[in-house]
Amino acid sequence: MNEERIVKTLCRMCDDRCGIDVHLNGDRIVKIEGDKSHVWNRGRLCIKGSHGAEMFNSPERLKKPLKRTGNGFVEIPLEQALDEIAEKIREIQTRYGPRAVGVWKGEGVGFAQQEELARRWIHAIGSPNYFSNDSACFASRWIGNGLVLGPQGFQADVDNADCLIYWGQNPPNSHPNVTQQINRARARGARLIVIDVRFTQIARLADLFVQVRPGTDGALALGIIRELIANNWLDYQFIKNYTVGFEALKKYAQQFTYDYVSRETGCDAAWAVPQIAREIRNSMPRTGIVVGNGFEHHENGVNSIRAVACIDGLIGSVDRKGGKYLPAGPGLQELTLYNEKPLRHLEPLGADRFPVQYDFRHECHTMTLMNTILSGKPYPIRAIIMTAANPAITNPNTRKVKKALGSLDLLVVRDLFLTETAELADYVLPAATYLERSELVTHALFHTLTLTRRVLPPPEEVQDEYQFFHDMAHRLGAGDYFPWKNEDELNRWLLADSGLTLEQLQEAPSGFQYAQPRYQKYLEQGERPFRTPSGKIEFTSDYLKGYGYSELPVYIPPRTNIPDPDYPYTLVTGARKVMYCHARGHNLPALSQALTAPEMELHEANANDLGIQEGDVVRVTSRIGSIKIPVHIASADEIIPGVVQITHGWRDTNVNEITLDDTFDPICGFPVMKSVPVRIEKE
Amino acid sequence: MKMVTILPERCVGCRNCEMACAFAQSGDSCSRRWSNIRVDVSTAERFVMPIICFHCDQAWCMAVCPANAISRNGDTGAVVIDPTRCAGCKMCILACPYGNIHFDHEQHISRKCDLCGGDPECVKHCISGALNYEEIDELIGRKRDILDHKLAKVMKVHQGRTDDE
Repeated sequence: MNEERIVKTLCRMCDDRCGIDVHLNGDRIVKIEGDKSHVWNRGRLCIKGSHGAEMFNSPERLKKPLKRTGNGFVEIPLEQALDEIAEKIREIQTRYGPRAVGVWKGEGVGFAQQEELARRWIHAIGSPNYFSNDSACFASRWIGNGLVLGPQGFQADVDNADCLIYWGQNPPNSHPNVTQQINRARARGARLIVIDVRFTQIARLADLFVQVRPGTDGALALGIIRELIANNWLDYQFIKNYTVGFEALKKYAQQFTYDYVSRETGCDAAWAVPQIAREIRNSMPRTGIVVGNGFEHHENGVNSIRAVACIDGLIGSVDRKGGKYLPAGPGLQELTLYNEKPLRHLEPLGADRFPVQYDFRHECHTMTLMNTILSGKPYPIRAIIMTAANPAITNPNTRKVKKALGSLDLLVVRDLFLTETAELADYVLPAATYLERSELVTHALFHTLTLTRRVLPPPEEVQDEYQFFHDMAHRLGAGDYFPWKNEDELNRWLLADSGLTLEQLQEAPSGFQYAQPRYQKYLEQGERPFRTPSGKIEFTSDYLKGYGYSELPVYIPPRTNIPDPDYPYTLVTGARKVMYCHARGHNLPALSQALTAPEMELHEANANDLGIQEGDVVRVTSRIGSIKIPVHIASADEIIPGVVQITHGWRDTNVNEITLDDTFDPICGFPVMKSVPVRIEKE
Repeated sequence: MKMVTILPERCVGCRNCEMACAFAQSGDSCSRRWSNIRVDVSTAERFVMPIICFHCDQAWCMAVCPANAISRNGDTGAVVIDPTRCAGCKMCILACPYGNIHFDHEQHISRKCDLCGGDPECVKHCISGALNYEEIDELIGRKRDILDHKLAKVMKVHQGRTDDE
């Protein structure tokens, strides 16, 4: 059989889920290209997207379950592996209580659907301990925006905006095909403002680029708020009818003068603030502001995100065309059991210390988990079932992560490859790739729902996420929660209330548009137009005040603004590289030739001071450890002097060996990974 | 004939085109050194410039090649080098005013864009929309459209905005 054919589905080399054409020769995937009919990427694909074929065909892919023995890993049959794992879970839950088992969702094989299955399963077996990579990425933006606007999927309406502000985000590397969306807006005449620590790829398109020191975005946001208020560049009608806390915010913002903002951020605020405010005035309400991961990983991240979200409220761009739009979802049923079987009384780990995180996300705290595994306090956690997460690379303080995970009674890792985390496991289970699964994916901004195709069946002993959680639940007496025979039946159930059918979606392989854009839906919501406690946009939060936090989106200067003589540089981590997705892709021979080694970005002025040339190896030391890494010298304003950047994800030179897992944003519990005090010495 | 058109003001210098070209040319590596398209980036001078062979109607590289290794593909219009005929004399590199031909120091032959046989990988990997594979008249149309939107916006600002939600 050598018949050439093309199957349309969605990419999952990152979470943007571009439309792809998978070219097959018989049952071999020979090429992956962008799907010209998919609204998200319109035929274009980044390099890791097309190298999905290399990933899929990799000889290193796991195809058989592995069990750790005295002689290392040995292959065992799938049924035996599932039986033994279930038995061990049962023993641990009997001995230490149901909550001694946790589940951890990574992002290696999927997101929404996989996440909900993991959440459902852990509650089904009686434990509240759901962990994920989100508690160190994304969740704080959900919380920060949610505190002000309500926890719903607001997004900048890129295609209709007259001004776009990309703040702490670099789409060409982190959301590649958003770049063409931004360029479409620019071709219409939209203005682009980029605010970042680094002069990033997206900054190259900007009409206005403003560079700020790590963790000082809140000061700039409050300076902009002050300027908007001083000039009456506001939507007073919206403020009056739909917001709370305006007077308090107005009063608080007064102290954010040009001088103060300049001092804190390092930018020339007398130049930048009026310009940004004027661009907002000229475009409002069609001002689409995007807050990126750059806000997270600081001690005051949530408040900085809140301050920016307050701008949306002040200018009335909330749910307006071209503004901070709230697209309708497709109305899928929820798999989680938080209403049906809430387990908060079992003290989900970290919910006592970071209650806001738990209220908004139902997430436990992965950094607390490491201490808990090692200490048994506040209660023992002895087993973790991990699905395609790689915290041995991606969590802060990875030395501790490896020690903690390695000391569990049971660590099960499902993944595509034998990752650094999988190497610590008692059982490694081979997971199905995105090309072997069928799931529902929403591109909300385009009101498009796509059913992904099972391009090829998974190898015999490789399971998809649903089958795994189904089989484990049935072995542990929680089978009632997993009644669907397979993924297809589950998809049918998820669609039950949506008015859509599986057949409809099958007939629309490049996605089905389930709704037309509708704006200002809050006008129809009666007394409680927004899903905040007050029902309005909250410039001040009584809810936060109730937990003892500040009700205002206060600015607290990052510690790195006053350099520690022992650790005078500020380390930022996590700037994305387009060929990799976090710790993924480095093991693919062709793709990884694009960037063969990590490097530390260092400003040329600092390089001169330290006597460092391009490629020299330096030792970077934080208060928990040090790594050796070659230097890339950044010219002009590619990075701020005094700040260095190292991208995470590398096995051998892992920057997370020196990021901090004991210093947190007190609201969301995020670790400090983007303002780590370090010292740099020439090797 | 279609060509790879370039709108430099859209380019972000992400280098997906270079990586894709490299893989198409080498078959086993995304290293930029195999790429026929190049993106020049200068942060200090604030420019990004992607450049690829224009497949000139009067191709000087083709005219100057003493080995008759360079010819035009009738289907795609691409000016292509036959690696089995190339003598490695580098005359084409000297002749090209744009630096669009480079030298393969392992095979000792000149290398350049061949439009991937009419389905260029660089364009399919251009996430900014700076590169398109199209007739030159399409590019002209798009450039005019962009200008018209800019002019219309300026006029709108002068006349007062209208909200068309």
